[in-house]
Amino acid sequence: MTTQTDPGHWQVIATTAQLDLPRPLLPVTLRGKPYVLFRDDAGALGLIGRHCPHRGADLCYGRLEDNGLRCPFHGWHFDRTGQCVEQPAEPEGSKMFTQIKVPMIPVEEINGEIRALVPEDAQ
Amino acid sequence: MISQELNDQMTRIGPATQAGGVLRHYWQPAALIDELAHGDKVPVNLLGERLVLLRDAQDTLTLATRVAAQGEPAVHYPAAADIEIDTNGPTYPVVEMKGVVFAYLGPGRPPDFPNFDCFRAPDSHVFAFKGLWECNWLQALEIGIDPAHASFLHRFLEDENPDDSYGKQFRDKAEGANMPITQLLREYPRPDIEVDETSYGLKITALRHLESDLTHVRITNQIFPQAICIPMSREMIITQWHVPVDDENCYWFTLFTSFDSPVDKDLMRAQRLKEHVLPTYAPRKNKSNDYHYDPQEQATLTYTGMGLDINVHDQWAVEGMGPIQDRTQEHLGRSDKAIIRYRRLLRGAIAAVEAGRRADLPMQNRTTTAITGPLSNDAIADRQNWQDVCHQMDIARRAACSWDATL
Repeated sequence: MTTQTDPGHWQVIATTAQLDLPRPLLPVTLRGKPYVLFRDDAGALGLIGRHCPHRGADLCYGRLEDNGLRCPFHGWHFDRTGQCVEQPAEPEGSKMFTQIKVPMIPVEEINGEIRALVPEDAQ
Repeated sequence: MISQELNDQMTRIGPATQAGGVLRHYWQPAALIDELAHGDKVPVNLLGERLVLLRDAQDTLTLATRVAAQGEPAVHYPAAADIEIDTNGPTYPVVEMKGVVFAYLGPGRPPDFPNFDCFRAPDSHVFAFKGLWECNWLQALEIGIDPAHASFLHRFLEDENPDDSYGKQFRDKAEGANMPITQLLREYPRPDIEVDETSYGLKITALRHLESDLTHVRITNQIFPQAICIPMSREMIITQWHVPVDDENCYWFTLFTSFDSPVDKDLMRAQRLKEHVLPTYAPRKNKSNDYHYDPQEQATLTYTGMGLDINVHDQWAVEGMGPIQDRTQEHLGRSDKAIIRYRRLLRGAIAAVEAGRRADLPMQNRTTTAITGPLSNDAIADRQNWQDVCHQMDIARRAACSWDATL
């Protein structure tokens, strides 16, 4: 049943085994929109928009480091919530990164399955 | 972020489009002379038009329209014998310059060529090549006017010996410092960027302030509407056009120009043929094979994990944005200063073309042939007088040049 407040439905997007890689990262498409699933250094999962919000580079080729995902184009760094935490090419002291966030989809990992809370409107 | 309408205006290049109207007022690289090895009819896919370069018995070149099947690939390259000329389609003037056939697809008289170094140097000192990128021309151009990305995208986690650098970008030593440029770019990732409007487009200065009051200065240029001119090594500069095949594919055409020895064309060609597939000049590393991405290499050697060839890094960055970058989702920063200025120039040019004010476009009047340079250089100088040092280094390089490179 879908209502105005329905946050979406849980959908299996991968298995824990599929993400058991030296570089734990997979591209995921949900309702036609591209995302990237990764495990950070703390072991937690992130499912965030696949294109860097700077100029659109493909984060599936990102550098999995510093407990997040770093875009190879200009080093913008995102945590597992999609929040930008660093813009190393911007001037010292710039706070622009605090305003930058990639779309994020909540995920949970239960009994070897990774499930995402897919929004009904697929925003 | 910009609107979808503005993104369409700036990126679409078909015959009745706004950006397409601007590009058609300038000579466009259409083919390499090397491609005439294909025969006397060479397919040319340019600005959304399906054309053919013809060579007659007197070696005269013309560009005509060819008959194209619905839905043929963007870079369709039929055998000469299979090409049928469409006599109802337009024909266009062409001229050969330094191994590249330039075509004029616009209205009225074509503009003069500026007296840039790549056109002034003798044939022995200029080498031409091209390559396919599967994306819109504007994102291909914008990476070339973004001086900050070299500190990340092209980062080498180790430095190789600059003595093995011939014919490659970013492998030389910076002039005035005993430090490979790779090391300098890595250690100083936040350049100050200055952008100046010029007669030819934009002069872009990236300043990296080093220790002991030294500054690394890298001067690059945007040549309106769709070229860049940048240093490659102490010996050579690159002049590179990003030429639309259609809205979602483009070729880079590059003239490598030497201020020192004649260009070793056999070596330069062999280096690049190894990375491309003829006859379409499609790169061997591409989206379909993940650009040979290697996570282990990314962890230890290069920032991208895609090998040492920086052209592949650029190709990945621009193709990964999608066929036409969705600029309604972008967030430009201070590092994108030149991109912002360029878009202002392009929008001004779109307005001028629509209003019939051709003389307001860059390099469209009688003074175009007097435009020289542009200065493209990497240098290290005292923080206080980097402008003088850059200028003097350029003058010295030109004075020592075997061909007339004086300004």
